[in-house]
Amino acid sequence: MIQVEKLTKRYGDTLAIDALDFEVQQGEVVGFLGPNGAGKSTTMRILTGALGATSGRALIGGIDVYENPRAVKQLIGYLPESPPLYVDMTVRSYLRFCARIKGAADPKAAVEQVVHRVGLASVAHRLIDHLSKGFRQRVGIAQALVHEPKVLILDEPASGLDPAQRKEIRELVRELADGDTTVILSTHVLPEVEALCDRVIIIREGRIVASDQLARLGGDATAIRISVARPDDALLPALLGLHQVDEVTREAEGRYRVHASADVREQVAAVAVPYGLLELSGQRGLEEVYLQLTGEPS
Amino acid sequence: MKVLHIAHREFVSFFSTPTGWLVMGGYLFLTGVFWTYMVENYVLQSQDLVYNPAAASLLNLTDYLLAPFYGNCATVLVMVLPAVSMRSFSEEFRQHTMELLATSPVSTAEVVAGKFLGALGFVTVMLTVSLYQPISLAQWGDPEIGVLFGSYLGMLLLSSLVLSLGLLISSFTSSQLVALVLTFAACLVLMVLDWGASSPDAWNARLALSSHLSDLMSGAVKLSDVAYFLLGSATCLFATHQRLESFRWS
Repeated sequence: MIQVEKLTKRYGDTLAIDALDFEVQQGEVVGFLGPNGAGKSTTMRILTGALGATSGRALIGGIDVYENPRAVKQLIGYLPESPPLYVDMTVRSYLRFCARIKGAADPKAAVEQVVHRVGLASVAHRLIDHLSKGFRQRVGIAQALVHEPKVLILDEPASGLDPAQRKEIRELVRELADGDTTVILSTHVLPEVEALCDRVIIIREGRIVASDQLARLGGDATAIRISVARPDDALLPALLGLHQVDEVTREAEGRYRVHASADVREQVAAVAVPYGLLELSGQRGLEEVYLQLTGEPS
Repeated sequence: MKVLHIAHREFVSFFSTPTGWLVMGGYLFLTGVFWTYMVENYVLQSQDLVYNPAAASLLNLTDYLLAPFYGNCATVLVMVLPAVSMRSFSEEFRQHTMELLATSPVSTAEVVAGKFLGALGFVTVMLTVSLYQPISLAQWGDPEIGVLFGSYLGMLLLSSLVLSLGLLISSFTSSQLVALVLTFAACLVLMVLDWGASSPDAWNARLALSSHLSDLMSGAVKLSDVAYFLLGSATCLFATHQRLESFRWS
């Protein structure tokens, strides 16, 4: 459904994204993961046709975004980082306007349908200005959905929301993902990706550093942190000697970090107990991979 | 069709914001005050001249009431129109709604045309309401239709030019206030350009607003004057289009 080939965007001297290559199949839910400024939003904006690429090309449904932006825009629904809302309009009149300019076949019916689907029925008559942030985000999603696009591009759909609202938005996106819709969403919140996505593309400084199925990517990789009461030089080699342990780093006096390709918490505990094990915590797969790949200090 | 949807949203938004009502109220109030005062003055003058038929024959509605009145109206228009165009793109930038238009299946030309038509529609409503003035006059007097037609045509063309200029300026800033001030300043420059012009054919006299407007409003509709306003509007709208397109290549 989406093909991206050698996509590059340069702002002056800075390279925002550097020769990105990826594909998304129809019906797939792909998470774009990366630290702020990695190029997630830039890539998404190029896919929507709002921004031109410096070189390379992007195809949506086989149509080149640059050559035929109008046809591509008809296919996609896009929620930018800050939802594009006319706050002086009511929810219903705003969505009706969106349905019209996006060329929905029957704007009125499309609006009523999306209002119910996104759970806006109770506020449909209210001014957007008077809505809470959670509802505004829903209106933003409704706007992206109103013309029943085949591809949905969501830039941080749950940013700035409280945990309960996050959960609601997540459930909403999951519902959409169950259908035939292709979804690309960006986030820097890992649980969101784990809850929603079939596949993850991790980008860092404009390059793809990993792109794989969620299960394979996260795999069984684990980072285990331990702290012991009586650190000893013998502990380090003992930990390293364990099966499937790749690396052990000493973070501070008596504190170690064990990187392993499998869940070896039990074995690590067994080794560490004689040294006075005080604490042991494991980080699950994706988070570990993400932190390694994006080089963010944890 | 999509042009009309954009124009319609723009048009309606003037009535859901204080700015729209302030502009319309301000224009109608100011011109209403002028109208009352000037009509009263004209009536007094004509009463004074009852016993002076020679002078009375010189006093006519066109020269002593309509022409000066519509001259004032045009000045008031130039003062309030920048407030109509100031929000067009600035507010879209500030609210991030430009992203909606940029990612919907509409072309930049449709967006610009829609914005322009919406604003012009609002001004047309305002000018239509102000028609009560000549209509009430026709009850008691016999105003020259040509002059009225020319005046309204002139004000519409003037609105078209000022709004296009304002649209262009607002596409450069996300601050309504900056757009307002710069548009007003640009209009002022256009109005006073012919001050101190060496001859009516000098470049600055030909480029100035006032020279083209005054002939139109006296009822002499000339192609060159109409073309001045239409070409000016088209140039500004085209520049706005280019400006918006340039965002894709920033």
